[in-house]
Amino acid sequence: MRKLALLALFALPLLAQPKVDVTVKQVNDRRTNGSFSQLMITLELPKVPSPDVAASRVLVSTAVDDTGRNLIDTERGEAELEANRSGSMDPKEKPPVTVSMTLKNPDRKAVAVKQIAGEIELFMPSKDPNSVAEIPKFLSQAGKPLSHRALKANGVEIAPLSAAQIAAERKRLSDIKRKEATEAGMTGEDLENYVKTFEGMQLNVEPGDVLVRLKDPNKRIQDMSYIDGKGEVQHLSQREDEGLYIFSTWGEKPQADWKLRVSMKTPKNLARYPFTLSNVPLP
Amino acid sequence: MRAIAFGVTLLLALTALGQSGVGVEVDDVTDNRVNAGMFTGSLELRVKLTGNNLDKATAARVLVKEAKDDRGTSLSDGKSQPDFFPREYNSGTLQVSVSQPARAASSVRVKGTVELLVPARDPNAQVKIDKALSKLDAPFANKTLKAAKLTITPLSKAGYAELMKSRKLDDKKIEEIRARAKKENIPEAEVEMMIGLAKAMEGLDDTPAEGAVILSAKEADFKRVYRVEILGSDGKPMNVTSRSTSTRGDDSIMILQPSEAPPANAALEFTLVTDKARLSFPFDLKVQLP
Repeated sequence: MRKLALLALFALPLLAQPKVDVTVKQVNDRRTNGSFSQLMITLELPKVPSPDVAASRVLVSTAVDDTGRNLIDTERGEAELEANRSGSMDPKEKPPVTVSMTLKNPDRKAVAVKQIAGEIELFMPSKDPNSVAEIPKFLSQAGKPLSHRALKANGVEIAPLSAAQIAAERKRLSDIKRKEATEAGMTGEDLENYVKTFEGMQLNVEPGDVLVRLKDPNKRIQDMSYIDGKGEVQHLSQREDEGLYIFSTWGEKPQADWKLRVSMKTPKNLARYPFTLSNVPLP
Repeated sequence: MRAIAFGVTLLLALTALGQSGVGVEVDDVTDNRVNAGMFTGSLELRVKLTGNNLDKATAARVLVKEAKDDRGTSLSDGKSQPDFFPREYNSGTLQVSVSQPARAASSVRVKGTVELLVPARDPNAQVKIDKALSKLDAPFANKTLKAAKLTITPLSKAGYAELMKSRKLDDKKIEEIRARAKKENIPEAEVEMMIGLAKAMEGLDDTPAEGAVILSAKEADFKRVYRVEILGSDGKPMNVTSRSTSTRGDDSIMILQPSEAPPANAALEFTLVTDKARLSFPFDLKVQLP
């Protein structure tokens, strides 16, 4: 509980919002003796168009069924922003956004969730010109930090490493290992084999992977992706290795004309709307 | 939960398998309760089969005859006929799906039969057609298929295109569907959604890739075919990367896509669901709801 309070102190200052209109779109009480036993409630916000919302989460402060069972899963941890993947066949259509919350199963004898209250957090990049940084031909800028107004405004630094920098970084890490092993008394062939094994494992990149130095002291980065030559979004996954980040793609390797897109949370584009619901019928 | 759910095995004579019977044991219960417009949830049971010599069965399925919760709600019309499921998949477990029980219910009773498919019991359950792709767009002339009253036609690409054209949903067919649905008391919204979905699916009807084996038959006939293998020049089953069956009305099209084009002398081997190859075992389960 104390940890949660501390987190709240350091969280982004968010736009204060009035209560938002919500309607219950779906209730799914998945009861199983196997995995994923949970109550999922999907809400619709009739006044918020879905295309305006890039991600959302619901922070529930109260959830209790009509038998008195508390439905907040304390073991689950705080919900994270989840990307809004709902789309429409017709780009002119602007359906209302939906958000979901996951709770514990109510009692089987319960017929309704008596009360749910909390806040809906919406990530709306269009609210702040510094929400998104798109860096064209980013591969050609290896060796120096990427320059973009939005990155600077959010205190984010991304620097793709050049081949020389990668080699230097590998040598630095290798030297550290060698020193540690020598101090532990390792010598001769054992030492060389140990260092060689380590070198084979460190900063292991596949063709098409991009190694970057990334600093995000304010935890602003929400999502990163590539934009290919045709303007299509190509998803990238990232993993940390020895303090550096490796960007990988499942499909095509990044090409010279690809952009790097970085979406960032800012005090202007992140808003929390309080909500309350009473007597939500259970299926 | 496993201790609460129990299976009562009844007995049938089963000399060929040399065993006393086959039982059903509940492995997992999921009451997936949904309230979203016209959609409701379902009760899913994952069951294990028990008994000796089950390995002699190629496939199995569970036919639910009756399912009721302890509040008296009927959860099945007893008409569902799922396909036989290979024994080697999902560690031999089978899925049983019935309607959502009442929220106030605490247990469910499910009665039905487990069916095993044992092709070795019937010499007519395996049918091999040599040079099966040498004469397309005409039904296979095979004695065993004829005796089983199965009419299956291998299609050329042109034959497939013609059939697909005739299957296209036009205004007349849509009106027929609506009239039939009205007769069967299917809600209008549900029918319109299905028509919309069928129209959208038509756009996905691509021409099968090179080397695909295309078979046409009545849906009821394909229901009696458990598996089709393409046998290469060496007489061994070829690697089939995808299998699909699409149905419109009473007619079905099955497409097998091998990883390489079948040779001109390729044979097809059909495994049929015949009465002799099929063994039934009644079961009666009481399941405690989670």
